[in-house]
Amino acid sequence: MELSLNSMKNIESNYLQPTETPLNQPATEHIENSTTILGIQHPSAIKTIPLEQSPDEKTVVAVDVSSIGIGETETGMLCAIRGAIVWKEKNKYRYQRIGPFPFHITEENKKEIYKLFRRHSFETSEAPSITNIQARIGNLLERWLQLGISCSAYDTIILWDGSMTAGMADSPVDEVSRLLEIARNRLSTVLAFSKNTTLRFSGHKLTDLAEKAEPPCLLQIDGFPLGSGPVLLLGDVYVAKLTPGVCSFRLDIDRKVPREQGIEAVQSLLGSDLLVQSYPETLRLAHIFSTFTATEVIGIQRFIAHQYGLRIVTRPNVRRLLFGPFGKGAEG
Amino acid sequence: MRLYKKEGNSLQILSSPKDDVEKGDYLLVEDMLVNRKLIAQVIDVQFASVPGLLEELLRDSTTEEQVYGENFDPLGVSSHINHIQDARMLICKIRGTIVNDKLHVNSSWLPCRSKSGITKISFNSLLEHVNGNDGLPINVGETKDGAPLNITAHDLDGRLNIITGKKGTGKSHLSKLLVLGLVDYGATVVVFDLNGEYAGLGFSAEGVDNQYSDRVHVLTPGANFRVSLFQMGLSVILKIMIHALGLPGTSTREFKHIWKSLSQQGRFTLQDLGEAIRRCNCNMHVRDALFSRYHSLVNSGFFTDDEESATDFEKLFEKTKKDGGALVINLKNVSSVDRQIVLEYTLGSLVNLLNLWKIKSVFLFAEEAHLYLRETYWEDIVTRMRHFGLFTNFVTNQPDTIKENIYRQADSIFLFNFTNERDLETVSKAARVDSETVKSIAQELPPHHCLLIGKAVNDFPVMVKVRALDIKTMGQTRLFFTNNQGRSLQSNYAYS
Repeated sequence: MELSLNSMKNIESNYLQPTETPLNQPATEHIENSTTILGIQHPSAIKTIPLEQSPDEKTVVAVDVSSIGIGETETGMLCAIRGAIVWKEKNKYRYQRIGPFPFHITEENKKEIYKLFRRHSFETSEAPSITNIQARIGNLLERWLQLGISCSAYDTIILWDGSMTAGMADSPVDEVSRLLEIARNRLSTVLAFSKNTTLRFSGHKLTDLAEKAEPPCLLQIDGFPLGSGPVLLLGDVYVAKLTPGVCSFRLDIDRKVPREQGIEAVQSLLGSDLLVQSYPETLRLAHIFSTFTATEVIGIQRFIAHQYGLRIVTRPNVRRLLFGPFGKGAEG
Repeated sequence: MRLYKKEGNSLQILSSPKDDVEKGDYLLVEDMLVNRKLIAQVIDVQFASVPGLLEELLRDSTTEEQVYGENFDPLGVSSHINHIQDARMLICKIRGTIVNDKLHVNSSWLPCRSKSGITKISFNSLLEHVNGNDGLPINVGETKDGAPLNITAHDLDGRLNIITGKKGTGKSHLSKLLVLGLVDYGATVVVFDLNGEYAGLGFSAEGVDNQYSDRVHVLTPGANFRVSLFQMGLSVILKIMIHALGLPGTSTREFKHIWKSLSQQGRFTLQDLGEAIRRCNCNMHVRDALFSRYHSLVNSGFFTDDEESATDFEKLFEKTKKDGGALVINLKNVSSVDRQIVLEYTLGSLVNLLNLWKIKSVFLFAEEAHLYLRETYWEDIVTRMRHFGLFTNFVTNQPDTIKENIYRQADSIFLFNFTNERDLETVSKAARVDSETVKSIAQELPPHHCLLIGKAVNDFPVMVKVRALDIKTMGQTRLFFTNNQGRSLQSNYAYS
């Protein structure tokens, strides 16, 4: 919040040029997309682990964060982030939305943002470009919320949106390890669901392996390298097919949690949360509550223009001017 | 407010939830660059079609049932998001253009979308641009912004007006207000009072005489309203025989002979007429037909042979000449045949008096006229009698009983609430306003509010709350269950 206010305070611009297609622009999902591709050439085995719904109901907590580009100013770009935490407890879902927080990112203040990263151990070796900072800020908030949940939850299933791949700019190994360790110490288990994965097995997408599997089950893939270069897999990688249907997901379970305890956590999830197309409802709600709709983007643009006295100016779309209906992509 | 779209004479204006604009309000779209102003009336207020709103609402609807929580929004961005969600689209109709402070009925120019300023204007300030006749004001009530709304007696003079709306919305009340407004300026008014509602015009709400008591004359057929055959001309009695009593053509010819021969003898009575029919050397069937009509005349109680007690219409009108006055023909408890006899007589006499210039002009207020006026009278009243000085105001809750061509000729329409689409469809045929305005505004008019359309408001439709009158209420429906009875019944159920 402090960073948001500081960044916005220094707007030295007279106008705000809204993003050209804010209504079609998908909100950036964090962490998950930053997974490095790990090709698996020779897995030793694929093992199917059938699951049974556990009668012991546990609290389920999910975290998700979204960011979206709002527009440009004379000196930089504007974006907004919002986080959502959803708890499933005693047949009721409770949520807490944090934000939206608008940010004005310029060449000047990106160092300040950097400092903040460092303070939270998210040190990076190279200076990210302005356009990457939007995702970085989102990731920072997401890790911060995950830390809060790890510290406060006890004997809980914690759901992350993404993987447990660490060692990248947004996911320092120490930091992610710390989050997992705190959760472990409080008898909680972190399960990370990836909607998209870049991991492949013999040329096939990892999640395609579960097509013929009988749900609910996990496919355990042994032989994954622990990492490549600076990138480390802090979780055991599974393919989860938890309900009948076409969907299956990459599931990372904290590597330092005993295997049985990890599987037990998934079985507890089956008994504790609603699952639609193998995806936990708590995590789905967290995603829904954090995502920006087109109305919200317009509302945030209005807030910024109103609060900081900016005039909203729409610049001509060069692609449309040049190519008319033959322009590519959403811009037309 | 920002101009969004113009199609034909329709405008769409994007408005913020904070803008205090409602249906019926007038807006001024001012284009400073060309020094022109567009006058538009809001006929509907809709939510602006904001992209992504459906997702927003779906997300919110999820939270209402099993999901609950809170938002941590320290910067207060959500108020701006709510603002976008609540953005409104004002659907407006262009009513004219102001160029150099003069009003023109022209909607062909297009104001600048980005530079035009849009402001709300009061109806009275709008009328300042209209060169209307502002003498003889009749205060109808107040507009939505609380300003008094006056029409002028000139707006009713020589005009055809229709007061319509569903039951219990205040039509008769407005009609009474206009009657007294005209009487105030010395006009002669005739009211066909179907339910005896106008009998209290001469009394205050407390039941004591008011300023109109000596100018309101309530005539009850068969009681203080009786006529002699002698004072009735052939043309009037023939109208009664043909139109009220349905006398066939052959019998009518015979009746004419009888009447003429009686007239040549001088004064004659009802009994003389009966005797003449009996003695008539004509076909038996014709005589029977004449006798049956004769008995209808006698049984109506409307005719008398006593010249002293007979009502002299001419004298009555003479009374109203100086200070104005209202003749209320009380048709309550009068059978439908007798009602038609009375009405044929009254209208026939009126036309005769107007023809002879014995009276200058008469304002006629006809409540539910379809119940007593034959169809051919409609067009006659509207087209021919208008030139003789008979100016009609129809009051009805069944708009489809008035012919379409009458709506087209109506100068002003005082439209109260209608919920029925068919009724609104009928009224919307009035040439003076577009059907969208009628349908959109009239459906949501609260009781005692009406939409004034037409010449009375210089073709600027306006919503008005009709003012109260200090007169004795006569037209209230008699109820079986009073409030107290209702309460005691409820308590009985509660204790049983």
